[in-house]
Amino acid sequence: MSFREALISSLQNIGAHKLRSVLTMLGIVFGVGAVIAMLSIGAGAEQEALETISRLGLNNVVVRAKDLDTEEAQEVRAKSLGVSLRDSEAIADAVPGVNLVVPKVAIDPYQVITSGVSTDARVYGVSAEHADLVDLPLAVGRFIDGRDLAEHAQVAVIGEDVRRDLFGHEPAVGRLLKVNDVWLEVVGVLGATAGGGEVDAFQGVAIAATGDAIYVPVSTALRKFDHNVLDSPLDEIIVRLDSAEGGRKAASAIDRLLIHLHGGADDYELIVPEALLAESQRTQRMFNIVMGCIAGISLLVGGIGIMNIMLASVLERTREIGIRRAVGAKRRDILFQFIVESFALSALGGLAGVLMGIAIAQAVAASAGWKTLVTPWSVILATGVALVVGLASGIYPAIRASELDPIESLRYE
Amino acid sequence: MSESMIELQGIERTYHVGGTDVHALAGVDLQIAKGEYVAIMGTSGSGKSTLMNILGCLDTPSKGSYQLDGTGVHGLSDDALAMVRNRQIGFVFQSFNLLPRSDAVANASLPLLYAGSTPAERRQKAVKALERLGLGDRLDHRPNELSGGQRQRLAIARALINDPSILLADEPTGNLDSATSAEIMHIFDELSQAGTTVILVTHEADIAEHARRRIRLLDGKIISDESA
Repeated sequence: MSFREALISSLQNIGAHKLRSVLTMLGIVFGVGAVIAMLSIGAGAEQEALETISRLGLNNVVVRAKDLDTEEAQEVRAKSLGVSLRDSEAIADAVPGVNLVVPKVAIDPYQVITSGVSTDARVYGVSAEHADLVDLPLAVGRFIDGRDLAEHAQVAVIGEDVRRDLFGHEPAVGRLLKVNDVWLEVVGVLGATAGGGEVDAFQGVAIAATGDAIYVPVSTALRKFDHNVLDSPLDEIIVRLDSAEGGRKAASAIDRLLIHLHGGADDYELIVPEALLAESQRTQRMFNIVMGCIAGISLLVGGIGIMNIMLASVLERTREIGIRRAVGAKRRDILFQFIVESFALSALGGLAGVLMGIAIAQAVAASAGWKTLVTPWSVILATGVALVVGLASGIYPAIRASELDPIESLRYE
Repeated sequence: MSESMIELQGIERTYHVGGTDVHALAGVDLQIAKGEYVAIMGTSGSGKSTLMNILGCLDTPSKGSYQLDGTGVHGLSDDALAMVRNRQIGFVFQSFNLLPRSDAVANASLPLLYAGSTPAERRQKAVKALERLGLGDRLDHRPNELSGGQRQRLAIARALINDPSILLADEPTGNLDSATSAEIMHIFDELSQAGTTVILVTHEADIAEHARRRIRLLDGKIISDESA
């Protein structure tokens, strides 16, 4: 009896007991389905994390001011003034492998007006290098330069939406606008292409759309605008390194420098995308191991189900076994027949489980809005384990079947 | 006597039941020639079923030798006995013993499945055997769609499909009414006339009447052996 014939005969037998076969397969179906669905959620989450991390830029290290409550802030400010320009200058001077240092502060604008017209805008104090970091395309004029920074010049580079709201069709460069209580001269207007309302990324640094942005020199932002003394002067310092490999080394150099400068105060955090990546991968591995164990248990239960049904099937088909033995079936023919049958059961169950897993993954993606990703290796792994479990749980009943005495079996009612 | 198909010498079969030995066969010597038509008779417990199992190579003797068509089959391995059953023995049972979920062709060709024939060859031979037994229009029927007589004819078709050396029929009419019994016995008579070695195992005298040689068993021994 060839494998093909044995398989056909097994499928006929499975088809003859549809309900029983389906119930038998359920364990495998749910096991495989759960593995594929869970792994797809895990893979989706991992991909999302990777995208977020790469958006930060693998060769960037970000120093970010910590959010502190008032009490903490009062305590910390006694030792440290927070993330400041002094830090960014020190990093640029002292840390090897640094390519670019961009200090950044967000100003809270309660008014953005020109003669009689107002608009909403997001206002940032940045250094001249910001343009290098994110490559802002200018429509007219120039970006903030070193002289502006040195002179705390009251100048601004504005986004397309701000220009339209405040100046309409008239040329904007050279005109004045007022942010809070500070008059600023427009020196440049950003191109309309820089941001269409969506958060975008360039060179791995997350940037908001620039349409409603106003950039001022960071020195001006610190000196001319009101500032809560308990807050850190800067919001973040983005440090671009020459290469991604040096990320952790540079980060620890920056950390040592900042501990010294901040008098040991814990008022900043270092974000190292490379370390985040490793952390995320570690978490993912843990998740996979836990999922693997859960899935393994459910597949084991499924296997026990198959064994149970195969044992019942052997008993029920004792007479059939006797007939086959009487007409010349060898023990191994019977063994083969029953193993192929449990293989067919688990293969069908595995197939249904794959379909169910893909369906669950899509349902989760649609209903919870999570990203899911059915990877080929998860399908191969789950069906492979299901087949092994099916074969393993079929062996014992098949041995029992093959060892039945033909005479007894023929008499079995 | 023409050449011998079956030669039993000093056959004993002992079962161990609850610590005591039960001698189902206690020294049986028997020769059956090719083409003979034999009935083995006896009451229940006489050992006729044990003898049939040994003749059919379903069981092995505890003692003694068994030559089937010139080859010693006593003490063969399980696999070798399966092969002997497959090639040389055709069984017909009282309760038909057909596979309920398989059609007539699949049932009749079952021995060929274990003889390594191709599906096409199996079907061709099965159709031929079924036609010979008047089941040519029942090829796709399952056993539960056939009458008792048709079922037994299907079982005979299965028994004959490998051209066996002996046809062993165990109470072949036990589950049939008298008209159908007569029809089935007629088939055995014809097969015997065509040269097949037929051995009937029965306790019914009128069935045994069909055979030309009647062997009686009692307590595991042959007590009479008469030829008509």
